[in-house]
Amino acid sequence: MEKFLDFIVRAGSLDRRYIFIVIAFVVIMPLFFPLGLPIRPTVSSQTIYDEVEKLEAGDKALVSFEYGPSTKPEIHPMAVGIMRHLFEKDVKIYITCLWPDGQFMAMEAIEQVAEDQYNKTYGEDYVLLGFRPGNEAVIKGLVSNFRKVYTVDARGNFLDDIPMMDGINQVADFDYLFSASAGYPGTVEWVQYAADPTGIIMGTGTTSIQVNEVMPYVQAGQIKGILGGMPGAAEYEKLIGQPGIGTSGMDAQSVAHVVIVAFIIFGNISFFVERRRSKKY
Amino acid sequence: MNGSEIFGAWVAVFLTLGIFSYLYKDNPFYKIAEHVFVGVSAGYWMSMFFWTQIQPNLFGRLWPVPEGTISGFFMKAWYGIYNLFGFILPTVFPDGGIDKGHGTHPHFIYILPFILGVMMLLSVVSKWSWLARMGIAYTVGMAAGLRAYAFLNSNVLGQLKGSAVSFVGLPWFSLTDASIFNNILILVGTISGLLYFYFSKEHSGNFGKVTRVGIYFLMISFGASFGFAVMGRISLLIGRFTDLITYGGENYYYASIWVLLSMIVLLTIWTIKGDNKTPVEE
Repeated sequence: MEKFLDFIVRAGSLDRRYIFIVIAFVVIMPLFFPLGLPIRPTVSSQTIYDEVEKLEAGDKALVSFEYGPSTKPEIHPMAVGIMRHLFEKDVKIYITCLWPDGQFMAMEAIEQVAEDQYNKTYGEDYVLLGFRPGNEAVIKGLVSNFRKVYTVDARGNFLDDIPMMDGINQVADFDYLFSASAGYPGTVEWVQYAADPTGIIMGTGTTSIQVNEVMPYVQAGQIKGILGGMPGAAEYEKLIGQPGIGTSGMDAQSVAHVVIVAFIIFGNISFFVERRRSKKY
Repeated sequence: MNGSEIFGAWVAVFLTLGIFSYLYKDNPFYKIAEHVFVGVSAGYWMSMFFWTQIQPNLFGRLWPVPEGTISGFFMKAWYGIYNLFGFILPTVFPDGGIDKGHGTHPHFIYILPFILGVMMLLSVVSKWSWLARMGIAYTVGMAAGLRAYAFLNSNVLGQLKGSAVSFVGLPWFSLTDASIFNNILILVGTISGLLYFYFSKEHSGNFGKVTRVGIYFLMISFGASFGFAVMGRISLLIGRFTDLITYGGENYYYASIWVLLSMIVLLTIWTIKGDNKTPVEE
C-alpha cells in the first residue's frame, strides 16, 4: 500500500509535458478512428432550432459573424449549420461582421453553404454587408438607421442596387437575429443594443467559455436559445440532419474530457496523500 | 489544388507547430510564429479598419463625387485639398471624389471626427501628445453614455425580470423546464450570491451562514466556467489537429509530416548545441 501511495505522490509531480502528450494522443486517436458516440440535443439548442423552424420562406434573418480563425473550430460549424437551416427554409440571409476577421469567416461559410451546397443568388437570397469597426456603436447605428452604417456591401455594391435590401432600414425590419460570437463585441452587445430595445427574436452561438456569461440572458428570455461551443454545433448538426465538423469532433472532445477528469481526480488524490504525509512528519 | 493553397497550408502547418513547440520549451520556432502572428494581426486590422471605415465612410463623406462641375471658391479649395491628397495617394483618393453612396455634397460635420482621429495619432509625438487626450476623452465619454442605458435596461431590469420567478402552476421538479425546485434554486442562489458581496455587515452569525451558501453557488459557477474553458480549449485543439491531418495528406505534399520531422530534427540540434539559454528576467 505504501509503495502504491509513493507511486501516486511521485506521479503527482510528473513533468507536465507527459500530460500534453497524453492529451494530444487521446484527441488525435478518435479523429482517425471515430467512436460514433451519441449526440443528444439540449433544450437551448432545440430552442434555436424551433425558432428558425417558425420562420417562413421569404423572411429575413440577420446573421452576424463575430469570430476569427482562433475560435473557428467552435463557432464556424454552428454558423454553417444555421445558414443551412435558414436556406433550407428559403429565408433571406443578411450577414454583418463586427470583427474584421469575421468577414473572411463569413466568406468561407457563404462559399461552402450558399454557393456550393444551395446554389443561392447573391443579392437576392443572401448578402454580405461586411465588417464595420465601432463595436456596439455599429449595432446602435443599425438599430436606428441601417443605411447610415452600410451604404455599400462587402463587394462594393450600393445597397440601393441590391434587390433584397428593399425595405430594410433598421434592425426591427428583420424577422430573426443570430449572433455567432466569440467575445466582445458580440452576443451581449446584440442583446443590449438590438434585441432588448427592438424585441427582435435573437438566438446565439458562442464559444464554450462564454456560455456562463450569456446563459443569464437565455434564462431571462432575452435570448431564445444558445449553441454552446463545439457540442452546441454538433447538436445543431444533429437537429438539421447534416453532420459536419462539429459532429466529427465530438468523439475526441468526449474522450479528452474523460482523461482530463481522470487527471483531476488523480491530482487531487496525490495532493491529499502528500498533505497527509507532510502533517504526519 | 493551386500553388497558393499548398503554400498557405505549409505556412499554416509551420505556424501551428511553431506555437505548439512552446510546450517543449521557448525556442526560435515559437518566437518566429509569435512575431509573425502579432505583426500580421496588427497589419491586417489596420488595413481592414482603413478600407472599411476611414476611406469609404469618412473620406467618402468628406469628398463624395460632386454633381456636375465644382463651382464656388470654397468648394474648389475643398476639392483642391482632395486633389492634393489624390496626387500623393491615388488609390485612396481616386479622381473626381469617392463614390460610396454618401450623396453628392460633402458632409462637413465629419471634419470633427477626422480632427479627433488625427489628434489621437499625435500621441506618438511627445510634443503634441496632449492633444490625443481630447480624442480619447470623446471616445470614452461616448462609450460611457452609450453603455449606461444599455446596461441598465438589459443587465439590471432584464435580469431583475428574469429573477422574478413564479412558484404557481409549475411542476415540483423538472430537469429541463421551469419548476418549483429550479425556481427556489434561482431565488436562493441570487439572494445569497448578492449578499456575499454586501460588505457593510460582518459575515458572521446567521448572515454569515447565508453568505456561505452564496460562496457555494459562486464556486459552482466558477467550476462550470472552468469546465466550459477546458471544453473550449479542447475544441480549438481538435480544430488544429483536424487541419494538420488534412494538410498531412497527399494533396498538400505531406506538409504536416515534413514540417514536424524538420522541426524535431532542428530542435534536437538546437538543444544539443546548447544554444538554448533563455535569459532570466530579474
